[in-house]
Amino acid sequence: MTIAAPPEAPPAPVRPGPDTTVRRLWRAFRFPVILLTALSVVAVLLSLGAERFPDGLLEPDSPSPDGTRAFARILGERSDVTVVRDSGAAVDAVERAGEDTVLLVFLDHRLLPEELDTLSELGTDTVLVQPSLRSLAAFAPGTDVTGRGEASEPVAPECPLPAAEAAGAARIGGTPRFDREASTELYSVADGVVSQSCYPGRNGSALVRVDSPHGGATTVLGSGTFLTNDALDSDGNAALGLNLASAENVVWLRPDPPTQVGGATMWELLSSGLRWSLLPLVLTLALLALWRGRRMGALVPESLPVVVRASETTEGRARLYRSRRARDRAVAALRAGFLERAVPRMGLNSDSGPDAVIASLAARTGEDPGTLGPLLYPGPTDPYSADDEAMLRLADTLDGLARRLR
Amino acid sequence: MVVTGRAALLTLLATVAVAISGQIGSTVTAIAVSLVVLIVVVDVLAATSPARLVLSREGDTSVRSGDSASVSVLIANPTGRRLRGSVRDAWPPSSHASPRSRELLVGPGERRRVTTTLTPSRRGDARSAGVTVRSVGPLGVAGRQRTLQAPWTVRTLPPFHSRRHLPGKLSRLRELEGRHTAMVRGQGSEFDSLRDYVPGDDVRSIDWRATARDDGVVVRTWRPERDRRVLIVLDTGRTSAGRVGDTPRLDHSMDAALLLTALAGKAGDRVDFMAYDRAVRARVKASGKGSQVHRVVEAMAPLEAALVESDPAGMVGSVMTQGRSRRLVVLLTDLNAAALEEGLLPRLPLLSSRHLLLVAAVRDPKVAEMAAERGDADALYRAASAERTLSERHRITAELRRAGAEVVDADPERIAPALADAYIDLKAQGRL
Repeated sequence: MTIAAPPEAPPAPVRPGPDTTVRRLWRAFRFPVILLTALSVVAVLLSLGAERFPDGLLEPDSPSPDGTRAFARILGERSDVTVVRDSGAAVDAVERAGEDTVLLVFLDHRLLPEELDTLSELGTDTVLVQPSLRSLAAFAPGTDVTGRGEASEPVAPECPLPAAEAAGAARIGGTPRFDREASTELYSVADGVVSQSCYPGRNGSALVRVDSPHGGATTVLGSGTFLTNDALDSDGNAALGLNLASAENVVWLRPDPPTQVGGATMWELLSSGLRWSLLPLVLTLALLALWRGRRMGALVPESLPVVVRASETTEGRARLYRSRRARDRAVAALRAGFLERAVPRMGLNSDSGPDAVIASLAARTGEDPGTLGPLLYPGPTDPYSADDEAMLRLADTLDGLARRLR
Repeated sequence: MVVTGRAALLTLLATVAVAISGQIGSTVTAIAVSLVVLIVVVDVLAATSPARLVLSREGDTSVRSGDSASVSVLIANPTGRRLRGSVRDAWPPSSHASPRSRELLVGPGERRRVTTTLTPSRRGDARSAGVTVRSVGPLGVAGRQRTLQAPWTVRTLPPFHSRRHLPGKLSRLRELEGRHTAMVRGQGSEFDSLRDYVPGDDVRSIDWRATARDDGVVVRTWRPERDRRVLIVLDTGRTSAGRVGDTPRLDHSMDAALLLTALAGKAGDRVDFMAYDRAVRARVKASGKGSQVHRVVEAMAPLEAALVESDPAGMVGSVMTQGRSRRLVVLLTDLNAAALEEGLLPRLPLLSSRHLLLVAAVRDPKVAEMAAERGDADALYRAASAERTLSERHRITAELRRAGAEVVDADPERIAPALADAYIDLKAQGRL
């Protein structure tokens, strides 16, 4: 659909043949071309304006209520935040970052046990947000889930942990507005393990800090919802999050859901017989269609007569009068019709002049000849074609005269 | 080739068989499908070939509009095998053929009659569109189908609704003959007989010579002329296509023409008929004695309004070449000012110099209704437009009358009796 001229076309003497061909093509295709171009421009402009954000729970780039974009931004001002999407990248990032590093792990149920072990062997300070049991075993042995907290009020830290103490009360056990069902896990630590437990609930604490078996401290949080965009601005939520992640480098691990590898399709699971039965099934449908669809002989054509009303031209003229508001024509036609009926009835004929007609009509009906004159034989300015009311008045008057003549 | 539901059932069974066959699916498929194909092919080959049937027709050739005609097709099977299947005798949709199709069983060497009832809803010729025979094989799985030609035409004649007016008009005609002696002395009236004077007779009709010979006073009697010629010209141009009520103007005109034909035939006049738009569409010449109605009806049946402007010059020329003797030319058309002023009026003197022209037209009651509409401006525009149409009609009527033509302008249900009355009046005045 390119409209370009042929490359070897001589520029100076334009022969009429190709020129008209190009013009013809352009004329034929200009509308689709212009439309397509306009659509593309609009699409590009729209896509420029609309940035697509990822969404999901605790997603560091998501601006929606359950995302943590705000917290990630604030954290990014103080530390060097690296967001990673799988454990391999997390290991690389931690090793590259150096000494002062905190590893934030969200949604670790998406990680395989081997990956959890590898991560725990890094020996960095780790913050686990609502970890899986397997994750607890790897990072914080001796810690166990002992309850669920439904506290909707801010909870006081009640512990000597500086990060929590400085932050004060936080809604770590609170329910976020976007998910009323979310609840906080509460943890207890086995006797004999050195630990600090903060934000206590009925059956445990929402924050537990223990030493990792491979070095570094592991902080376990019962819920991550206090870090979301929705909840970050209330109470000490932001402060608690920042305090826990206070390090030069922060590696933020939010694993993507694992992709499925391998597996059989539905088609492969079907037995060979069922697969082959499609062929006779198609044949069956074709024969059914042939059986029901085959006609007994061809359709019989018949030329039909024209259907047009004899009054069509009259109605068409009426529509024309109406659309052009041709009151003068209409008024003239009404007068002519009246005179045609009235004049023979008064014993006159079509040769009689206006004066004779008016005089005779005045005598028969008792009307004033002075009003009959403009009514039947108007001068250059006709008062009865001025507007619709006048036209209706004329029709009424003529009808009245016709009744009296009878 | 045709297949039946049994073929589909067979393949469905094959489908089930393949579906439960498990690992040997491909083999079972091949066997089942080829078995089905084999059965179908064998059945098609074993079916009696419809092409070898011999068809012939019998039945009605014409039907009056609204009645039913039955047309039969005789199907002979000269083969040595039995033919089983179905047959359809196809006719155009407006013929309303029934039944649409039926079962057919013709033994070897036998003949079957298949009768179809036609109830045509349109005037004109309906031609058979072919006889489709479907022959199914002995297994009833598949067969062959062929459309054979068995030409036949059923002509639907125009309805003669105005027939009911005929007795009334005939009695008027007889009355005219009886009364004629005393009252009418039109020029050209023929001498009939002499009879005694009765009070009330016109004294001018007393035959003094006969009175002198006889005891009493004797008057001459006349009877209306007989053996006058009437030519009915039906305009089949565009103006005849317009519908007045539910019926085209052409059909109203035909009805009126038929009543006139019947009446003139009874009155002893010779009626010719011609249909014309830009060429002669149909023509019936008077032939001796007897009613012309049947021949005119036959000629009218296939006529349709043509969407062309009629050619009055050609029509007048065609009338003038029909013969030198004086006739009453009855032109059934529409009083369309534009068409008549340009076409007919300039040629009217030529026509009137030899013949008497009677123009008959169907008036549209719808226009009169429109002219009476009142209420708002829209209604007045419609009324004004209708007044304009009416006044043009009046004007052309007046012009025709001035030029020496008679004009009959009546509503659809009045046109046939009005035309008959005009004919009787002309006859009474001895103007034929």
